[in-house]
Amino acid sequence: MTRYVMTADLNRCVGCQTCTAACKHTNATPPEIQWRKVLDVEMGEFPDVERIFMPVGCQHCADPPCMHVCPSQATAQRDDGIVTIDYDLCIGCGYCMVACPYDARYKVDEARFAYGKKPSLTEALRHDEGRLGVAQKCTFCADRIDEGTAKGLTPGVDPEATPACVNSCIANALQFGDIEDENSNVSELLAENTYFQMHEELGTETGFYYLWNEK
Amino acid sequence: MTISFGSKLQTNWDWRAAFNFMFGGSGSALLLMMAIFAAPQAAPLALALVALVLVGFGLLMVWLEIGRPWRFLHVFFHPQTSWMTREGSVGTVLFPVTIAGALMHSVMLLAFAAVLGFVFLYCQARILKAAAGIPAWREPAIVPLIISTGLVEGTAIAMMFFQGMNSAALWMPGLFTLFIAARLWMWFAYRDALARGKAPAGTLQALTKMHREFIIAGCIVPLLCVLMTFAFELGSWGTFLGGAVALISGWRLKYAIVVKASFKQGYGIGKLRKGRPIIKPPVRRAGDPIQL
Amino acid sequence: MSARPETPVKNKKKVPTYCYQCVNGPDLLTVEVVDGIATQVEPNFAANKDHPAEGKVCVKPYGLVQKVYNPHRILTPMRRTNPKKGRHEDPGWVETTWDEALDLIAEKMKATREKGLLDENGDPRFAFTTGGAATPFYYAGTLSAFLGAWGPYDNSLGAGGTVKCYHSEHMYGELWHKAFTVMPDTPRAQYVISFGNNIDASGGVTAVYRQANARARGWTRIQFEPHLSVTGAKATEWVPIKTKTDGAVLYAMLHVLLHEHSADELDINFLKHTTSSPYLVAPNGYYLRDPETKKPLIWDLQINGPVPFDTPNTDPAIEGSFVVPHAIEVGADDETWTHTDTSVTTAHEKLKAHVRENTPEWAAEISDVPADTLRRIANEFLGAACIGETHEVEGRVLPFRPVTVVLGKSVNNGWGAYECVWARTVMQVLVGALEVPGGMLGSTTIISGPDWDRMANVFPGEDGFMHFPFNPTDKENWLQANEMRHAHKLLTPMVGDSMFSGLFGSTSIAWLRLQGRAAESWAKPQPPDVWFVYKCNPSISFSETSRLGESMAQFPFMVSFAYTEDETNHFADLMLPEAIDLESTQLIRVGGQHYFEQQWEAEGWVLRQKVVEPQGEARDFSWICNELARRVGILEAYNDMINVGACGIPLKTDSYDYSLDPTTVHEPDVIWDAVCKAASADLTDGKEVNDLEWFQEKGYKVRPFSSINWYLYPKLVDQGLRFELPYQERILRVGQQLANRLHENGVDWWDTQLEEYEALPTWKDLNKLWDNIIEKNYDVKATDFPFWLLSARSMQYAWGGNTSLQFIHEVASNVAGHDGILINANKAAELGIGEGDWMEVSSPVGKAHGQARLRQGIREDVIVMIGQFGHWKMPFAKDLKVPSLNALVPMHPDFLDGHGSSIDATKAAVKKVEKLV
Repeated sequence: MTRYVMTADLNRCVGCQTCTAACKHTNATPPEIQWRKVLDVEMGEFPDVERIFMPVGCQHCADPPCMHVCPSQATAQRDDGIVTIDYDLCIGCGYCMVACPYDARYKVDEARFAYGKKPSLTEALRHDEGRLGVAQKCTFCADRIDEGTAKGLTPGVDPEATPACVNSCIANALQFGDIEDENSNVSELLAENTYFQMHEELGTETGFYYLWNEK
Repeated sequence: MTISFGSKLQTNWDWRAAFNFMFGGSGSALLLMMAIFAAPQAAPLALALVALVLVGFGLLMVWLEIGRPWRFLHVFFHPQTSWMTREGSVGTVLFPVTIAGALMHSVMLLAFAAVLGFVFLYCQARILKAAAGIPAWREPAIVPLIISTGLVEGTAIAMMFFQGMNSAALWMPGLFTLFIAARLWMWFAYRDALARGKAPAGTLQALTKMHREFIIAGCIVPLLCVLMTFAFELGSWGTFLGGAVALISGWRLKYAIVVKASFKQGYGIGKLRKGRPIIKPPVRRAGDPIQL
Repeated sequence: MSARPETPVKNKKKVPTYCYQCVNGPDLLTVEVVDGIATQVEPNFAANKDHPAEGKVCVKPYGLVQKVYNPHRILTPMRRTNPKKGRHEDPGWVETTWDEALDLIAEKMKATREKGLLDENGDPRFAFTTGGAATPFYYAGTLSAFLGAWGPYDNSLGAGGTVKCYHSEHMYGELWHKAFTVMPDTPRAQYVISFGNNIDASGGVTAVYRQANARARGWTRIQFEPHLSVTGAKATEWVPIKTKTDGAVLYAMLHVLLHEHSADELDINFLKHTTSSPYLVAPNGYYLRDPETKKPLIWDLQINGPVPFDTPNTDPAIEGSFVVPHAIEVGADDETWTHTDTSVTTAHEKLKAHVRENTPEWAAEISDVPADTLRRIANEFLGAACIGETHEVEGRVLPFRPVTVVLGKSVNNGWGAYECVWARTVMQVLVGALEVPGGMLGSTTIISGPDWDRMANVFPGEDGFMHFPFNPTDKENWLQANEMRHAHKLLTPMVGDSMFSGLFGSTSIAWLRLQGRAAESWAKPQPPDVWFVYKCNPSISFSETSRLGESMAQFPFMVSFAYTEDETNHFADLMLPEAIDLESTQLIRVGGQHYFEQQWEAEGWVLRQKVVEPQGEARDFSWICNELARRVGILEAYNDMINVGACGIPLKTDSYDYSLDPTTVHEPDVIWDAVCKAASADLTDGKEVNDLEWFQEKGYKVRPFSSINWYLYPKLVDQGLRFELPYQERILRVGQQLANRLHENGVDWWDTQLEEYEALPTWKDLNKLWDNIIEKNYDVKATDFPFWLLSARSMQYAWGGNTSLQFIHEVASNVAGHDGILINANKAAELGIGEGDWMEVSSPVGKAHGQARLRQGIREDVIVMIGQFGHWKMPFAKDLKVPSLNALVPMHPDFLDGHGSSIDATKAAVKKVEKLV
């Protein structure tokens, strides 16, 4: 069995948004739609303040609320744990967006581009009408994973089989791999570090682990 | 230690979705209450139409909100787990059954419609409860609250209708009073549960903001009106006023819950763990669209 | 279910290239091109073994695709029709052809040459301004050849340099350890003290990557800064120090090391043999010298007597007083004193005495940092230095001292920066942690020689120290001419005499003189006859920016290489569209060591190539240079410059010859093909010759570069040299001589600056200094400006010239402060300011407005404006409504330090306003 998970090391992340940018490039998302982004969070009060940078996006839950509420079966889950959306099935009811406890889903009703109504050459080339009026979110770059594994490559190790945000991360804060494989990089990171899963109490069993060593 | 942050008001479901809960809830409960109020006779066609218009209007509003309205049939694809599919399915059946029952004066069909109406109302409550991203909705206490306010609203409409027809019985305002009290109880239970569950500050603020109004308009005024009417035999105005105020306050309650108090979960830091995680495989439920 | 539509694509390829939008480049990337259209950027995964950060790329290059297709681009040459220039004048742009535009420039430039390259004041008639710490040269193709062929030109009209840079670190860092910029040996460092150094936002990919590894390894980083920056967020401990009091803290740490520990606890061996600590200091402050050889004397404990510093097998005293029977002292202008039976002490004793009063308790009062904290950190620093431990690099055993003190901008430039850079380097020296594994290292040289070969610039100079190219201040050799409008070599002799020296002179002085506000005994300079502005926007990026625009409006002929309309080319006569990042070709050096943490174990060359065809009429800069050279009539000289190495490497040496015929015009591809061949031949000693086509496919070519080259120490020891620390005799002498020369020529307006040339810098109360300067020069009360307005680095924007890109705006918005003004939440509440409320910030020279962003990680007496905004012309950027600190920072001679630098910060007042005014 394979279950793909991502780890984000909050001690490494500097909030540079390179992953945000790389995700936008890879997935050609419209302005202000960020399947991956990094939050800039302050905790505490002056002078005892902690500022952390926290990558967020779809957590690819083992028990995804979005999938259970979806009336159209557009949201589905692969056997490797990746939660997907079929843009052709989705009716754009937005139910998954309120069901997701991670604010990871987006819906764009009208085509919009960086500089208004008119797309640039790149935007025109990459615009996808099929993604209008439906839910969208991080796919763990499932296409890259599938294309890569078809070539015998290992997700999380070979860039061609690895999500774009992980490839791009300049602090090596983001890592990806098969948690069922004891020797994968993510398994080893989890064995060696303290970590948490966001909103664990909701029982979603996320496929996204935050490595964090409190100061 | 767990820390939460970044909770913002959701904007995915706006007033259109709220209208479905407001009017659909009233209409579906009305289907139930009119059957009870008219028993052992069949409920009148006019009242049945009022119920259907309310439910239909709510569904129309939802249809206007969805991104791909012409794919509306896809809404029926996931009855195994989606309360939206279930609501849609019940809603679809509810129309022909009610119309047929009312036209044919069939008590049996209208009783069936009453059951469907209640199921529809229940589906609505469960839709909100399943929205795990919105603490104000996913709180289990929302289910009795939504049902109780639906019953208040349905009872209010039915009561006003029968009063207008001069065929009201004394137990009707009695039932109304009972539901008002139940709703009030559920309201307190709901708010307590949210406060205990550390709901987002925005949610608690939004509900606190409407608390006074709800207590006055949703409970005190309707109860006073109804009680005074009967105590002093003041005719029917108390029933009308009390019913209307209770109905509107129910709508305002649901509007507030759907539009104003619907702060998202936000993000958070969880409890730190050490050691290899226990890997739980994807949870499989009947009907999950698993792609192997 | 697919995330992306499976659109059938006919022609899809990945093209390697580089990004050099900031000094931390080049990043090696690939661009996916589909049917001739650039679609997405990725790291060049093929470079992961050669690049120190696995070939990853920064966030900025992801903006390059949108940059190509930005609808606001200028895509045809434009000519001004309204002769009146001013912020509120419409330039009346009309389209013109390249032919017409180039002919117009050629005509002006030829006329200029005929009049003479220098004007009546001796200033160049042609001026060229760029920004980004000269990184635009990595985009400018053959521009260096054109400038070389032209002759003297003025690059004093800066875009922010000396204010927006690590100026004192550049000057003194390079003097002391060939460190134009300074960094920890991050891969080995264990304890780093930082004063506002925001490396996680400013250090580029390699710095972020290496710092993240260091955190994972468990290093300690103590961050002193008034606002919790991105880097502070990643530090072990944040110390919210009062603004501009870093010097006090550093002096107190020196005090702890020198007065609360015995010399034995320091790296005494390092001090004795690798520094000037044992040099004896004579009564007038200069070294005590041997009368015969004039060499500085040390006190040898073995013979208990004075000997020249380079006497073999000595045991130099670093502490104590000694009576020297007979010696001389040589001061400024060779003034010589003879001393008999004089009691003298060592430089180390002088240092100790210098910081005797600077106790942690003293510094605590000034800096708001508790004395215990200061003392603890100084002691931790000493403990972490691992004195006595060694580390082997390439078979050579070197000291291992894993501690470093780093400084950030506005700490290491402007008044007080000399104290800070000196104190922290002395801290390094005291524990032997300078230029050794684990310790503080320099990254690159620029003042003293080629930036790609730091070690080549290490050779003996005076008195046992490394050579440093001070400009002469002695009577005989003093340069009388200004050479440029800021008289860099004359007023600031530490700038050296290289192609880039002009950039280190006080660019503020140039603008202030044009405004008649500085150097009153000198004639007001003329504006340049022809001014080229390339890849910069001084109207936004310098200080007191509205005034700068007024100066530009006076310039008779201004050519702007324009991407979009902006606040500077608004004053231009011509706007010319150049082929940008992904549209043009250039080969540059890569690897070796470079700033900031660009230490590679490989070196070589990387190609920027035409990933996509240029949009519109945009032209490759090499083509533009070709045409200008031809039309101006300097083609042969221009081609000669290319042949001798203006494109980074000579095209002809004894071992190869790819030189070009100097008499004809060569297309850019022909030029770069020759450069590719020369570069690869040089890199492989002629074994492999790779042409442009090869580089277009492979992207880059490197060979191994030993990490022993990261450390100066072995090279220094091999040459028997010492670090020129702690005592600054040369600085003292240069300052005194410069004072003499200036006074002889009737210049007394530089006297305050000259006071900085001290052998041991005196601590200054900079808060008081600021208050005094503003009360003296502006009709205000200092108490009316209770806040410090500071800036903080935006990694997403810095140097990118990308403020008009929606993409960058979008991703940068995730980082706090990009959309307003950061203010302490408690202070804001006190002022009645809520989140998102509009604030008016005023300084003695201006006002700006922005929305309040309430934070806890900021002192109550500080506000922060990130990056550089305040645009009023640039499309998209002008709608951002984000204020600019630059408009509020005063430009005034009194703010300039001894080397002409000032800070981009100001005292400010804050109030709530109802809405955007």
